[in-house]
Amino acid sequence: MAHASEHSAPAILSEVKPASLPRAKMVDNDRDFAWITEKICGIVEGKTPAWWWWCFGVACFMACFTVAGITYLVATGVGVWGHRSPVNWSWPIVNFVFWIGIGHAGTLISAILCLLRQKWRTSINRAAEAMTIFAVVCAGIFPVFHIGRVWYAWFLFPLPNYNVIWPQFRSPLEWDVFAVSTYGTVSVLFWYVGLIPDLATLRDRFALAGRETRAKIYGFFALGWRSSARAWSNYEMAYLILAGIATPLVLSVHTIVSFDFAVSLIPGWHTTIFPPYFVAGAIFSGFGMVLTLMLPLRAIYKLEDLITQYHIDCMCKITLATGTMVGYAYAMEFFIAWYSGNPYEGFTFINRAFGPYAWAYWIMISCNVITPQFFWFKSVRNNTTFVWVLSLFVNLGMWFERFVIICTSLTRDFLPSSWGYLSPTVVDIFTFFGTFGVFSVLFLLFIRFLPLMAMAEIKGVTPQADPHSGHNPHA
Amino acid sequence: MKRKIVHPAPSARALSGPNYWRSLDELQGSPGFQAQLEREFPEGASSIDGVDRRNFLKIMAASFALGGVGMAGCRRPETRILPFGKSVEGYIQGLPIYYATAMPLRKSAFPVLAETHQGRPTKIEGNPSYAPYGGGTSLIAQASLLDLYDPDRTTGHYQNGAKIDAAAVNQILSSLNEKYSANQGEGLAFVATESSSPTRARLVRELHKKFPKAIWSEYEPISDEAPLEAAQAVFGKSVKPVYQFGKAKRIVSIDSDFFQSEAGSVFYAREFAKGRRVTSKDDDMNRLYVAESSFTLAGSMADHRLRLASSHMLAFAAALAAKITGDSSYDKLAQGLDIKAGWIEECAADLSNNKGRGLVVAGAHLPAAVHAITYAINASLGNIGSTVEFLEVAETKAKSLASVTAAIAKGSVSSLVILGGNPVFNAPADLAWANAQKSVGEVIRLGYRLDETALLASVNIAEAHYLESWGDARTVDGTIAAIQPMINPLFGGLTEIEVLARILGESETDSHVLVQSTIGKLTDGSSTAFDRFLHDGILADSSYPRVPVEYNGEGLAELVAKAPKHVALSKTNLEVRFAADSKVDDGRFANNGWLQECPDPITKIAWDNAIWISPRLAKDLGITSKGSALQVVRDETEEFEKGKQMARVAEITLDGRTIRGPLHIQPGLSDYTIVIPVGHGRTHAGRVGDNIGFNAYPLRASHAMAFATGATLTLTGERQVLANTQEHWSMEGRDLVREANLSEYRENPGFVKEVGMESESPSDIGPEGEKMTLAQRNSEIPRGNSLYKTPTFDGVHQWGMSIDLNTCIGCNACVVACQSENNIPIVGRDQTIRGRSMHWIRLDRYYSDGKIDGAAFGGAGNHEIPEDPQVSLQPIGCMQCELAPCEMVCPVNATVHDDEGLNVMAYNRCVGTRYCANNCPYKVRRFNYFDWNDKKLDSLYMGPLGEHGMPELVQMAKNPEVTIRMRGVMEKCTYCVQRIENGKIQWKVQATREGRPGDVAVPDGMINSACQQACPTQSIVFGNLLDPKSAVSIAKSREQDYALLGYLNTRPRTTYLARLRNPNPRMPDYKSLPLSRIEHDIKSEGSAEKSAGSEKKEAKS
Repeated sequence: MAHASEHSAPAILSEVKPASLPRAKMVDNDRDFAWITEKICGIVEGKTPAWWWWCFGVACFMACFTVAGITYLVATGVGVWGHRSPVNWSWPIVNFVFWIGIGHAGTLISAILCLLRQKWRTSINRAAEAMTIFAVVCAGIFPVFHIGRVWYAWFLFPLPNYNVIWPQFRSPLEWDVFAVSTYGTVSVLFWYVGLIPDLATLRDRFALAGRETRAKIYGFFALGWRSSARAWSNYEMAYLILAGIATPLVLSVHTIVSFDFAVSLIPGWHTTIFPPYFVAGAIFSGFGMVLTLMLPLRAIYKLEDLITQYHIDCMCKITLATGTMVGYAYAMEFFIAWYSGNPYEGFTFINRAFGPYAWAYWIMISCNVITPQFFWFKSVRNNTTFVWVLSLFVNLGMWFERFVIICTSLTRDFLPSSWGYLSPTVVDIFTFFGTFGVFSVLFLLFIRFLPLMAMAEIKGVTPQADPHSGHNPHA
Repeated sequence: MKRKIVHPAPSARALSGPNYWRSLDELQGSPGFQAQLEREFPEGASSIDGVDRRNFLKIMAASFALGGVGMAGCRRPETRILPFGKSVEGYIQGLPIYYATAMPLRKSAFPVLAETHQGRPTKIEGNPSYAPYGGGTSLIAQASLLDLYDPDRTTGHYQNGAKIDAAAVNQILSSLNEKYSANQGEGLAFVATESSSPTRARLVRELHKKFPKAIWSEYEPISDEAPLEAAQAVFGKSVKPVYQFGKAKRIVSIDSDFFQSEAGSVFYAREFAKGRRVTSKDDDMNRLYVAESSFTLAGSMADHRLRLASSHMLAFAAALAAKITGDSSYDKLAQGLDIKAGWIEECAADLSNNKGRGLVVAGAHLPAAVHAITYAINASLGNIGSTVEFLEVAETKAKSLASVTAAIAKGSVSSLVILGGNPVFNAPADLAWANAQKSVGEVIRLGYRLDETALLASVNIAEAHYLESWGDARTVDGTIAAIQPMINPLFGGLTEIEVLARILGESETDSHVLVQSTIGKLTDGSSTAFDRFLHDGILADSSYPRVPVEYNGEGLAELVAKAPKHVALSKTNLEVRFAADSKVDDGRFANNGWLQECPDPITKIAWDNAIWISPRLAKDLGITSKGSALQVVRDETEEFEKGKQMARVAEITLDGRTIRGPLHIQPGLSDYTIVIPVGHGRTHAGRVGDNIGFNAYPLRASHAMAFATGATLTLTGERQVLANTQEHWSMEGRDLVREANLSEYRENPGFVKEVGMESESPSDIGPEGEKMTLAQRNSEIPRGNSLYKTPTFDGVHQWGMSIDLNTCIGCNACVVACQSENNIPIVGRDQTIRGRSMHWIRLDRYYSDGKIDGAAFGGAGNHEIPEDPQVSLQPIGCMQCELAPCEMVCPVNATVHDDEGLNVMAYNRCVGTRYCANNCPYKVRRFNYFDWNDKKLDSLYMGPLGEHGMPELVQMAKNPEVTIRMRGVMEKCTYCVQRIENGKIQWKVQATREGRPGDVAVPDGMINSACQQACPTQSIVFGNLLDPKSAVSIAKSREQDYALLGYLNTRPRTTYLARLRNPNPRMPDYKSLPLSRIEHDIKSEGSAEKSAGSEKKEAKS
């Protein structure tokens, strides 16, 4: 920043003493490469800890709720959920948007931060990407099963058929189909490409340890990675290209999900602010979820040297930024509702804040607008427990945001004769509850069998990886 | 018989082509086959000899028994089976045939056409041959079809619980004859329902001759005609009034709901609408004053409405009479009347200024004295002969139910014959009828169901439905209507006249012969005349004779003496008004799912009845809405919790009798009158009607059948959920139902354009669009500022609909007509509570009291339920938007536009994302959350473990032209696309035959949607917008035409004609604007200044 160019005028001061701004360390305690490899591979190679089995059992049990709920739903009819006229979408779509939103942080961290050369992403990107994929899996359950005749869900895909009927490309739901499936595919690809060098490491280590079966499995997925310079060169390029492809997707998916609402004409849905607002909200909730997951992992596996306070700080700041954007969007919605002079629009927002769902609205406001403001304070960011608790509130608030948007707008729209109130059924609640189980099952399998962090990348951001490490660049 | 189909003449190819024959016999030309052809299928049913026609029906039904169309298992096939496919001349497979018949109800009947598909009736329509009803029908007539196919109806005859055959029934009936022939009928008693049937009247006369000592009594729990004794007393003649609302400019209704609960309501509604309809500012419009205790459809149409207890109606009538006749003797009767000063004076002045063009009507339930005074008023105003006609009717010799109980108590009844009715359920409590019936040795009961009364009878004879009976009946003016069967009795039921004839020992007991002989005596007796009667459905010029009457008040004093005394009402001395339920009537239709699911037009409660109490009484009982400090809308939290009406359960005690029921706080009731719809709370109605609502009959005594005073009400502290289909009753100042007073309309006929969102935004169709004609606007698509490309509207027709809010009375006939036509399932009480009812057309009902004040919007907050509101009704079906929001959001192209402007649903393609329903601003799309058609309504949640399969009998009620929708599919109004297509095909066939093959534009009036067809007031007009002369184009060209939520640029094809009110500026409750407009103006202008301003201006002028 303060480097003088070659042709600059002589310094006015006799002596320039540039302030020392040390780069934050990505790995604390000067850990070396071997330590990093040992630490991360050790999680996979070690004996399955007891807590894992407990968690896995509980998660499986929880997942059964979703399986049972969906089975009952398909066998009986959508009526087992709480939908009614005029609230034709309720919990399932709330849950869908909630999970999709959570899935945002992963790709954002891997793609956008990669392009922006944010080195702190390296410790958390692998887990965040995994989280993205599992969240998309959970999200995908809802739009598929909320439809009345799930056995005809393939009507949504542009498959050749003898009636020559195509999907309707004007419908945002159709856009969703493509947006979500593309997002899911690219996320998996991105995640997998990033995994290759680490899978090869595991393969080699298992082979050395004589565990042939595992070595073969990891070897299969490592695609014959031999860590040659050429392979690294190709890998880096592929990774960069994927990051380039994934970056617009981060913005597009939730933009398109927001179109489900913005394109309609229901007051409270029909707003142009939705795309940026939804994207900000999604990143907000995604980082909330990353914090929720990473902080316990960090504690359990003693990963403090890899996920440093600096990482937590960065994540908290992004949460603060996006949370504030979301708060701004809430305020703008109100402003526009008033400024437009449209009484239907105006009513919808007053009704949100003071109507029958005021409780949900104020939960949303407190969790999404007030909670992140704590992150202004360094002492808060340094208190890991407190950060974790706040991240839970962020998750809760973001579920309620979707609930407020979907349900308050639908329950009281144009004709007061048709107004209603939505109450979920047990099936609604259990099906949603169960998706946390589905998510946990997948995530537990991930931390057990795959390297939790991108070892190769972390090594790349350690001081040791810098050929000039130990030299003073300004000297 | 009425035939709507036109059969194509054989084509040249058919004549010259190869010959086909139906059997070898035909080929041989055997005489047997020839004879059979001639006998069974003579040309055109209208010239069929009646006896053979009956056989024809038998055969038709029988052939389907074999064909498995739905009859299999119902009945053993008859001996002769003929193929139906080609043999009935003129019958075209797949085309319905319409037969004229009539639905009898008490002392009148609805002449109807029954649409039959392959021998089974599937839809009831009004018979346009009967001019007074003009093809309109009522809710009950529409729904009566479903009763025919009720799986819970009696499927056979029973004696002491054991099934017996028809021969045994005949044996029982003829043994009655033998037993009582000897002693002139001593010990024989009959309890029958009221009937207008000339054949029954003839048989009853014979009964009196043959068994002079037998007791013949008639009992109806609800009366729907003015008591004859009133006319007898003041005119000295046995006459009944029939009103000509069409001629009346000023109408005063004294507690009379002539739109729904009076006999002839279809006629009255239709005529009233004629006087109400305003097509230009020069048109005259009638003015309706209503004084009523309950809140009825008439009250909802009133220009001035006075809330007054039923027991005070005598005083009201007297006060009105005093003002109009100037006779001070009425003043004494009017004492104690406590109403707004000036109301009666100005009302009387208005009537007096319109002599001969006014009409005062009194409710059938009111004491004879009120009717007598009403006659005096009408006589004094010169209305008799112009707006009120008196028809001479035979005096009834029937005894009352009380006389039968008295005879039973004396032990002088040994055989009791109950013909229809359900006295065990609905007899007055003081008669203790159930005990009386039990004490009779032999009780023979003709009944449609094994109901409460049947359980206490020794012999139960299955009764035939009117759609499977021969009979006759009279309409409200006495015109004789034919009742002819569409189908052989499904369960071998007998008709009332057959039973009577058998008891009388007549040689001929077939009801067809009985009717023919009755009609034969009234006509020249020829079979042609009888066939004509069957074809038209009515006997021309057979109405009761109109007779001149002369008012003399001599008998009045006696009637007044009999009338209940005027007492002041209070919280501890309540008046109870027993009213027929708007749907299940006196309880007879309780097992009809269409009726049960149809929301009451005023309370919007389906599947239940409730004790209606006034907001004032609610407050006195301590039911006060608290609301929240920052309340958003008119508050109703006291009654509604989470969208469900959580009604308080109360006990009502009257003369030591007590009933329990849920309370419904009903705006607009007289303060201390509680209204209880009777007819619910059946215990043996069937699977649909059992234990729905509560039974109010145990509260009612024979001396006060319609209303009683002295009741008390106590809250029990319990709550009960009611299936209320409309949670919110306020329009919230929105521009949904646009209203104006006639005076404003005359000054500014285009006022609708100045109300609502459109008035503040640029035209959605742009300035060019505004200049287009209606036809151009609907076919060339003015783009306005729209970005979206619209469908091409290049069809030959462009369908559209206009609904006149000014004449819609909210009778619900359209709702059930649509349900019947379109195979709309019922979802049951539980699912209705969950907000999933399936009606394609619904009636939105809003109250307004001119105050609109939400705390969250800076006002004081309005927690009050209005005590004296105005009602605005709005029927809403799919609007068939040209720029349909539902279409663009459907991901699978399941809802698309056709080139004639219909927003069509491809059920097969629908996957059920429900996005369309979300995006529909009118919320008219309905989703099949469960397999309503396939699953039992009480096992919906059992999934595959629950019972499934539609009962065969119910399958028969379905319209074969409309798909049955499965679960997971969205559905909605289609403008009756099946009728449109039928009409187009028929017209094309006809035009081609007449040598105009290119003429495919169906003329106006040929296609009627089901709702339009049923509408008694002709408020719904449907047709082709490209034809500038079509009724719908003319209606839409009127200045009151507006699109609901037009600012959304959905361009709905259904538009509304604004409602007008015609208040009298001199009345004390006059408002210069309708209350809903005042609310709208406050909300949109920020204050009521505009309204208040115009009020001042008007007051000055």
